[in-house]
Amino acid sequence: MITFEQVSFGYPDAVRPVLDRASFEVAEGDLCLVIGPTGSGKSTLLGAINGLVPHFTGGTLAGRVLVDGRDTAHFRPRDLAEVVGYVGQDPVRGFVTDTVTEEVAYGMEQLGIDPVAMRKRVEETLDLLGIAELRNRALIELSGGQQQRVAIAAVLAARPEVLVLDEPTSALDPTAAADVLAAITTLVHEVGLTVVLAEHRLERVMHAADSMLWLPGDGQVVAGAPAEVLARANITPPLAALARTLGWERVPLSVREARRRALAEGLLPSPPPLAPKPVGDPALVATGIEVRYGELVAVNKVDLRLHRGSVTTLLGRNGSGKSSLLWALQGALSRAGEVSVDGLDPHTLSPAQARRVVTLVPQTAADLLYLPSVGAECDLADRDSAVPPGTTAALLARLGVLVEPERDPRDLSEGQQLSLVLAIQLSAAPPVLLLDEPTRGLDYQAKAELAAIISSLAADGMAVLVSTHDVEFAATIGERTLLMADGELIADADTASLLTSSIAYAPQMAKVFAPAAVLTPADVARWLA
Amino acid sequence: MAVERTNTLRSLHPLAWWGWAIGIGIAVSGTTNPLLLALVALAMVVVVLARRSAAPWARSVRAYLVLAAFVIASRMFFQILIGAQTGEIVLFALPELPLPAWAAGIRLGGPVTAEALTATVYDGLRLAVMLLCIGAANSLASPRQALRSVPAALYEASVAVVVALNVAPQLIESGQRVRRARRLRGDANGGLRALGPIALSVLADAIDRSMSLAAGMEARGFARTSGPPANGALAVMLASAMAATLGGFLLLSTDLGLAAGALLVLGLIGTGWGLRRAGRRLAVTRYRPLAWTGRDTLVLSTGLLAAALVLIGAQDALSPGLAALLQPEVFFPSTDPLVWPQLSLAALLVVAAVLAPLPLTRPIRSRVPDAARTDVRIRSLRPQAEVARP
Amino acid sequence: MSTRQAGLATMQQARLSLALATALAIGAVAFSWPLFLTPASGVSAATAPLVFALVLPLVLAVVLTELSAGRLDAKTLAMLGVLAAVGTVLRPLSAGTAGFELIFFLIILAGRAYGAAFGFALGAITLFTSALITSGVGPWLPYQMLAAGFVGLFAGLLPKASGRAELALLAGYGVVSAFVYGWLMDFSFWPFALGDGTQLSFDPVASPLANLHRFVLFNLATSMGWNLGRALTNALLIALLGAPLLRLLRRSGRRAQLLAPAIATPTSPE
Repeated sequence: MITFEQVSFGYPDAVRPVLDRASFEVAEGDLCLVIGPTGSGKSTLLGAINGLVPHFTGGTLAGRVLVDGRDTAHFRPRDLAEVVGYVGQDPVRGFVTDTVTEEVAYGMEQLGIDPVAMRKRVEETLDLLGIAELRNRALIELSGGQQQRVAIAAVLAARPEVLVLDEPTSALDPTAAADVLAAITTLVHEVGLTVVLAEHRLERVMHAADSMLWLPGDGQVVAGAPAEVLARANITPPLAALARTLGWERVPLSVREARRRALAEGLLPSPPPLAPKPVGDPALVATGIEVRYGELVAVNKVDLRLHRGSVTTLLGRNGSGKSSLLWALQGALSRAGEVSVDGLDPHTLSPAQARRVVTLVPQTAADLLYLPSVGAECDLADRDSAVPPGTTAALLARLGVLVEPERDPRDLSEGQQLSLVLAIQLSAAPPVLLLDEPTRGLDYQAKAELAAIISSLAADGMAVLVSTHDVEFAATIGERTLLMADGELIADADTASLLTSSIAYAPQMAKVFAPAAVLTPADVARWLA
Repeated sequence: MAVERTNTLRSLHPLAWWGWAIGIGIAVSGTTNPLLLALVALAMVVVVLARRSAAPWARSVRAYLVLAAFVIASRMFFQILIGAQTGEIVLFALPELPLPAWAAGIRLGGPVTAEALTATVYDGLRLAVMLLCIGAANSLASPRQALRSVPAALYEASVAVVVALNVAPQLIESGQRVRRARRLRGDANGGLRALGPIALSVLADAIDRSMSLAAGMEARGFARTSGPPANGALAVMLASAMAATLGGFLLLSTDLGLAAGALLVLGLIGTGWGLRRAGRRLAVTRYRPLAWTGRDTLVLSTGLLAAALVLIGAQDALSPGLAALLQPEVFFPSTDPLVWPQLSLAALLVVAAVLAPLPLTRPIRSRVPDAARTDVRIRSLRPQAEVARP
Repeated sequence: MSTRQAGLATMQQARLSLALATALAIGAVAFSWPLFLTPASGVSAATAPLVFALVLPLVLAVVLTELSAGRLDAKTLAMLGVLAAVGTVLRPLSAGTAGFELIFFLIILAGRAYGAAFGFALGAITLFTSALITSGVGPWLPYQMLAAGFVGLFAGLLPKASGRAELALLAGYGVVSAFVYGWLMDFSFWPFALGDGTQLSFDPVASPLANLHRFVLFNLATSMGWNLGRALTNALLIALLGAPLLRLLRRSGRRAQLLAPAIATPTSPE
């Protein structure tokens, strides 16, 4: 279906090509997973399938890309609309119209499809993706998962044979991500579409993949069966890490496969019973926190203590009030109830003083960056925090980001942007750090680095609260986990017992070795006697 | 072939509303009778209240009422201050202040006569009611639906407008997010100095957004069916525009009313033909195109009828029979000497034309087109009384 | 680019120039009608702006049709839509505060960065979108669209300059265009706004010069503040934000390859 023959691609001013003589084929009807660290060229590879690379992006492409027998050198992306459906990273940014049906019809209008046939196809497509009841809704009001499904419906209406998706679930919570991925697997299995999918969090999709393309980051593309590619790749979802730990040659692609093999080999890690850890002094004490938006109660009477030198994770659905709670604790949001950090309430302090008491890195961290260069951002942070010049830059280096001070923050990768914001916020040396959804868009390596940073901050005596959707990440960082639902704190326990006793929030290792309370491959290695 | 159309329970075609409102506006421009004007204004407000949707643009009629009041007040202000006073009934006298010669010998203040003031109020009222007609059309016609029936020749321009309408609320959101995030950084250098960097970062985000949008449009076949521009369309449209300009000029500065009207109509028809021809370079189709129904025609024609009544009534040389029927003097009551304005059958017919949409259309139930709710976010953009300064 | 394509592009350029020139000529007539109107008028002078409000959309239709015809590719169009959205958001923010109008500097800078045709389209479309959102559709709209279009058009036609000279040039243009825009709008609606019963009213019988004299007095008295405010806003914003904004627009223009002479020409497959 898709053939790359010796494809190289690069921008004229770049040092090395993004793709370097890549050759592979994707068979018809495959669900093909594209994996690789940030910046390894996944988006470029996906764009090359429908000709956006290079027709739209510029740059030079050598070699041949054939899709359904058509050479993209001779077909513009728009001419391939009924061959390849392409869904970009952020669906909202690609929407042209404002309601669901109009968006689904838009592509067909462009192709000049007869209105009667169009009406029928719109309805069919809505049913196929299970979004018929959303038909007249405004796109901007839909949840992330619904928007993603509308975006898929919008390209499917033109009846393409190939569907290309660039990280369709990176911004979704686990339930919404599962919805979207279920819709995609249905398209592969029931409709017979060929799907090419780039994804950071492999644990969600790798069980459904038929083939895999791995971009190590040097322009190469390694193609093959998922289990083989994963055994070689530097991308380590939990099951691959487990296989490595246990010396399995074949990477299990699903929890079921791993569990069967573990049972067959009689592997059962036996973690020691949990010993209550010494708890530091409370750094932040909050009582009766309540946040309202008009009629809506986003946070309902939450009591909370954060201790010095500890990492606490906050789990919960989208809209359960996690972000509101964090903003309220920082003092940037009006709320009822009391917050005290060493006797100070951040809400009554000026913003400049508040950030020296509690600091928050918000979900879209890049919102905090607006100066033209990294150096300027660091200098401003030094001045804002009244610390000696160079402090923020040194912090940034300690966080592992070494970039030229002239770089535009907008051109950094998401992980680097997050580190920069973290450095800026840490320059004020606050005793309490709040992180809202810090793993969005991070690859496994960046996540591991972030986890290490968080641990070392806690080791320095800081109280850290991390809100996240990413259960695997939560499993690696926190000793203590809070669970929020509907604005209320419904659970507060140590991470191991809370996560292993839950179905929805259990990490993969816990599922593989249930009932043993192990959370990460590292736990398995440690306790597998 | 059956063509899919949307006409279930929808309001009128936006062009029908606009045509009707413009017709009433033309009728209003042909009279200074305050009784008639007041009745038309009242009827207009009744129709708007009964037939508008819950969409945010439907709230505009209040702003237009404010604007109308402002027009009357400002006209009276200037009339009292620098008006040329005619008539004998002096209401009051302001102290006089002659300005030097460079100011064209203008004198401020002086006596104010009832005749001159009445004439000003009549004329201001006429303008105010015309504005109200425009406000009514703004309230009643859905701009989003109107954009869906733009001629194919202007398709790209209409897409740009649609994009702008959809992106605007997202930009507000992104601006608010950035502003909120500033507090987290301590907001140390707040105020104007921070405005620049914030504006730049929102703008940079907007430009990135336009790139993703363009990629999406391109991948979904945008402009795929476009061919080279059609021959002849440009020449015809240019000629039409010039003919219409000439027609407008003749209409305003000579007595060649008929020739002028013909040129104007010719210009309109030529442009319509040119648009149709130029639109052939594009083969896009429309999902559920808006249909033009009999009700649309009826409402439009009542508006045009009102315009015709007043325009014919205003002609000097009417046959005696027609003059007796239309009573042209009713449309322009004298202000010097002052007389009490009267109503005639023709005037009542004009009012009836304003009310015509009531029996011809159905109210839009509370089932708001969901798209309209998007515009709730836009509502925050709307100043309390946007004075579109003419 | 092949010679055939180049020829096609030149022809389209010529067609567009012709349409724009006609719009300029007709616009000049429509805006300055109180100067030309002779006494023997059949229709009341106050209706003149309304008559021309019927004619101007035809002119706009010609120009926008020519602009659309094959020149607006997805990138240019998306850029046009997004910048118009920015202007649409900025406009109500600034309304009500005397003359503090935030849209013109954007139109000027975009016209400068992407060329005259883009500037015209952006001016016209921004005003149109903004009118839709604020329910400001009325007879003044075609005038506003055309006038704002011209502001963007001439910004694209300014002479070459770079660095500080360019900013000074643009800021100066911002001041001039602010006044011209205000005067044109006020002039064409002057008889309409004031009525015909005052000493500063338009008088069809008087000479053009006498009418102009009256208008200047009226305008100084009523709108000077607005025009001055608009001019200062333009100059200030261009001086403050001009350099980084132009850099931003030009950078994305390069990325989008829409920095062609006027407006993007479709990129040819390599």
